[in-house]
Amino acid sequence: MRRILGFLLLALGLAWAQGDKLKACFIYVGPIGDAGWTYAHDVGRKKAEAALPWLETRYVESVPEAQALPVIDRFVREGCQVIFATSFGYMEAVLEGAKKYPNVIFAHATGIKRAPNVATYMADFYQVYYLNGLAAGALSKTGKVGYVAAFPIPEVKRHINAFTLGVRAVNPKAQVLVRWINAWYDPAKAREATEALLAQGADVFAFTEDTPTVIQTAAKKGAYSFGHYTPMLKFAPDHVVSGQIVHWDVIYMDFLKKVKEGVYTPKNLEKVDYFWLLEHKAVEMGADYGVPINPKHVPLLQKAQMTVGGRKVSVHDRIMALLKDMQSPKPTFDPFTGPIQDRKGVLRIPAGKKATLEELLTMEWAAPGVVGDWPGEPK
Amino acid sequence: MEEALLRAVLFGTPLLLAGLGALLSERGGVVNLGVEGMMALSALVAFAVGLKVHPALGVLAGMGVGALLGLFLGVFAVSLRANQFVAGLALAALGLGASGLLGKRYEGVPLPNPLPEGILAALALALAFGLHLLFSRSRFGLYLRSVGENPKAADLFGVSVDGVRYLALALGGGMIGLAGAYLSLAYRPSWTDGMTAGLGWVAIALVILAAWQPLRAIFGAYLFGLLFFLQFRLQGSVPIPSEAFAAMPYLLVILVLALSGRARAPKALGQPFDRGR
Repeated sequence: MRRILGFLLLALGLAWAQGDKLKACFIYVGPIGDAGWTYAHDVGRKKAEAALPWLETRYVESVPEAQALPVIDRFVREGCQVIFATSFGYMEAVLEGAKKYPNVIFAHATGIKRAPNVATYMADFYQVYYLNGLAAGALSKTGKVGYVAAFPIPEVKRHINAFTLGVRAVNPKAQVLVRWINAWYDPAKAREATEALLAQGADVFAFTEDTPTVIQTAAKKGAYSFGHYTPMLKFAPDHVVSGQIVHWDVIYMDFLKKVKEGVYTPKNLEKVDYFWLLEHKAVEMGADYGVPINPKHVPLLQKAQMTVGGRKVSVHDRIMALLKDMQSPKPTFDPFTGPIQDRKGVLRIPAGKKATLEELLTMEWAAPGVVGDWPGEPK
Repeated sequence: MEEALLRAVLFGTPLLLAGLGALLSERGGVVNLGVEGMMALSALVAFAVGLKVHPALGVLAGMGVGALLGLFLGVFAVSLRANQFVAGLALAALGLGASGLLGKRYEGVPLPNPLPEGILAALALALAFGLHLLFSRSRFGLYLRSVGENPKAADLFGVSVDGVRYLALALGGGMIGLAGAYLSLAYRPSWTDGMTAGLGWVAIALVILAAWQPLRAIFGAYLFGLLFFLQFRLQGSVPIPSEAFAAMPYLLVILVLALSGRARAPKALGQPFDRGR
């Protein structure tokens, strides 16, 4: 009898422990892969699960945008209380799913539409791109910096512009040659785009694509590069200078904790939008975790000079000073502070003004120094 | 210009290898739509062996896996007389899925000593010429062609239709495996899920573009490579949108196919051979 009671208690306890867990489910657009977007989200998911004992997670990878709603249906059937959708293209499916399941909390990465039970979030790199641009401008001997870009959408354009502003802050004559591959993930296209840029004289590279292909290709010809999304130093230890690194776990944990504490409910997310930057530690500048600049290239950047407010300073010191400022709770510097004209000479950000969030999210113009096709460029 | 030609050859090489592999089995009458999956799985095995043992052995391992997958397809497409198109598509899905699953622990690992692309590119070129000689000058070539054109007649003359088809699938599979090994050991020395990114499908199109002739496959593969490179070389310097450039190789295929209407597929292509009927 006592044994049976014991088992009953154990079963109850297990059921209770199970029921007490918050179930968060993730829809990934690509394969988890070895680097890049989906991989980074998955790292964030795992870190959150490891840190929060009351959290249980689940994911489905490589979900085409048209298939998102059936996956949402499945997740809800399986008892998911929070659903993270990690691609811009899931927007309509998320809004439809949110209407269908008003008691489930949705969070849409890179999204621009919200609802009572749909929040949006983004860990953005534009500040980091500016800092990397400073280093790129200092390192280029030819004055030609290559950029292998995914799709011509505002997010990618914002990053290229911030990067170019950085490059030109050091070398006002430098050019950033942009090549679109029209894919988030296509190592063959990234490889050939890099080869084409090398053939045109580019000697420093940055990119938006989900593999380390650009880095590997550039390194073969001795060109410097900046990693993207995850630490990529190991793919070319002599040539990766720095890069953009994301920490989605910071956002995931903050969000999930607030759901657990009842701060976020399916009724009050209409105004919840995370656009987290360096100050929130959602992103990091680095060749590797905790390595803002590859030590091999620090002397080069210390030697390089740039003019700031009429004074000569070393590029290295400038990068570190700005990084510190932007990581502080009250940053004073923003790359998109006017006066900024686009490459056609139209004033886009007036003197003394900072670009608004709206302006950042809808950026279509090209910064001076950007060379190449720019679909959707305003007249 | 030299740069463009070099890129055409180096990007064209995996297409040429995979295309020759598919072409070989098609000349024997078996359609192989599994190329993409075969390439993915052999790329993974080649990378794993290349990382743990030696890249040269990785190449052999990749070819071995390709050959085995070719034989595996043969079980369904030749012996069981399944619909070749369905069997091939299933193999493509299986190879992609299995490589993604098994490859997880090789993701994010750089290969310290990649193979020089040039050697493999030269080997691919030699294989194309070798295949041409095999088809036109050897007894096996004669058997293969007769099995692809008229398996009934070949059977009457005492040629083992199934045997020839199995051999063609295995040899072709080896070449497709070599294409996979080239990707993960030389062209992009690392492994990622889905790294073939559609090259296998282009290789299948290349067979048609080449009108089932190995020497024309060389031309077709390099043409693809050239266009692929040029779309990024020319982007921004001519007033054509980047999206149009991205579509260029495929538009060209359609154009060439339309112009080369006379190219004829092997007569028995895609038809399982059943002696009793």
